[in-house]
Amino acid sequence: MSEPRVTSGETEARSGRQADPEALRLAVSRVLTIGVAISATLLIIGVVLAAFVGWTGSLTGAALPSEPVYTLPGLLGGLAVLQPLAIAQLGLFVLVLTPILRVLTSLILFIEERDRVYVLVSLGVLAILLTSLLLVR
Amino acid sequence: MSPTQDLTIFAISIAAGVLGALAGIGGGMLVIPALTFLYGVDIRVAIGASIVSIIATSSGAAAAYVRDRLTNLRVGMFLELATTSGAVLGALLAAIVAPQLLFLLLGIVLLFSAGMQVYRLREELPPETPPSAAAQALGLVSSYPDARLGREVPYAARRIGLGFVAMGFAGLISGLLGIGSGALKVLAMDGAMRLPMKVSTATSNFMIGVTAAASAGIYIGRGDVDVQIATPVALGVLAGAILGARLLVRLRNQQVRLIFVPVLIVIALQLIARGLGLDIGFGG
Repeated sequence: MSEPRVTSGETEARSGRQADPEALRLAVSRVLTIGVAISATLLIIGVVLAAFVGWTGSLTGAALPSEPVYTLPGLLGGLAVLQPLAIAQLGLFVLVLTPILRVLTSLILFIEERDRVYVLVSLGVLAILLTSLLLVR
Repeated sequence: MSPTQDLTIFAISIAAGVLGALAGIGGGMLVIPALTFLYGVDIRVAIGASIVSIIATSSGAAAAYVRDRLTNLRVGMFLELATTSGAVLGALLAAIVAPQLLFLLLGIVLLFSAGMQVYRLREELPPETPPSAAAQALGLVSSYPDARLGREVPYAARRIGLGFVAMGFAGLISGLLGIGSGALKVLAMDGAMRLPMKVSTATSNFMIGVTAAASAGIYIGRGDVDVQIATPVALGVLAGAILGARLLVRLRNQQVRLIFVPVLIVIALQLIARGLGLDIGFGG
């Protein structure tokens, strides 16, 4: 085989098969890449700064918030004084949000593609995710 | 944690990421025992770190898998309906069901499934069959470019009803027992729906992130995600997953199965041990 690479469009035309649309794949892939890159950057900054001032130190030397870092006031307070712990926590938050953002991205792309079945599927998945969050609180 | 310990956790997490990307699992089977046994980390904190590990494996590898058409987005999203609703039901039932026996039963089911895999060890691709009307209506018919075979491989999901129910069961189990259940997802796509092995593990990998993200909020809110432990885990798993995704493309489906089966057996034994009350760490 001299030319093993076939574009998804060609394959679709040739066999009538429904490959995932390229725009959808690229958008989902990009959301995942960007989410991972931002998260990893924040985590690395956290680790590097922790090596200098310790995880619970602060770069500005200002007083740290009394709330734990996984609460919103604790996180914002920690970020305000450049606490390594808070910067890494933000990185973990971005990591957790990334898969949810990719479901939202697919929803938008399925709407653009006018793929009614998968608009409903994406909405269903989002609804169940929201239910799961509400049930536990 | 000393810097040496951090580096060891980082290294183990790289291995968990590579294995997770190849076998379609979250890596809890390595991360949890490593944290609890090597460093005596509290089991709740270890599970919190493993949730982070699942999301890191998934997002780290899926970016490449989705771009390279190994992950089938429609198959993944359609089956996520089953896994997420199963997980909600499982979380609700968790309060009234005794998990001990469930761990044991699930372990035996996985061990049996591993035995069944022996029959497929020599199979590179599932036999090609004409796509059903249901598969076409749901868009579960596609193809993937196989760099190793040097050609485009067409496939269609079979036994969609059975696959959907198996996925609901996988979701139920993860909600009930707090495990990622990536192995069950691969079994549902490979065994029930007869998707190519690489498509099965890459799509499982893609799916596990969403379910884990739903429960991650709860774990973080409870303070179970310890930043100092979760950070080296997340960074190691991300690096490993990106590496693993590059590796999978170059492997044959047979080789992927040869990696998956031992992983399945280890998870099965961990679950059985936990069901019998032996504390040797557990996976999924």
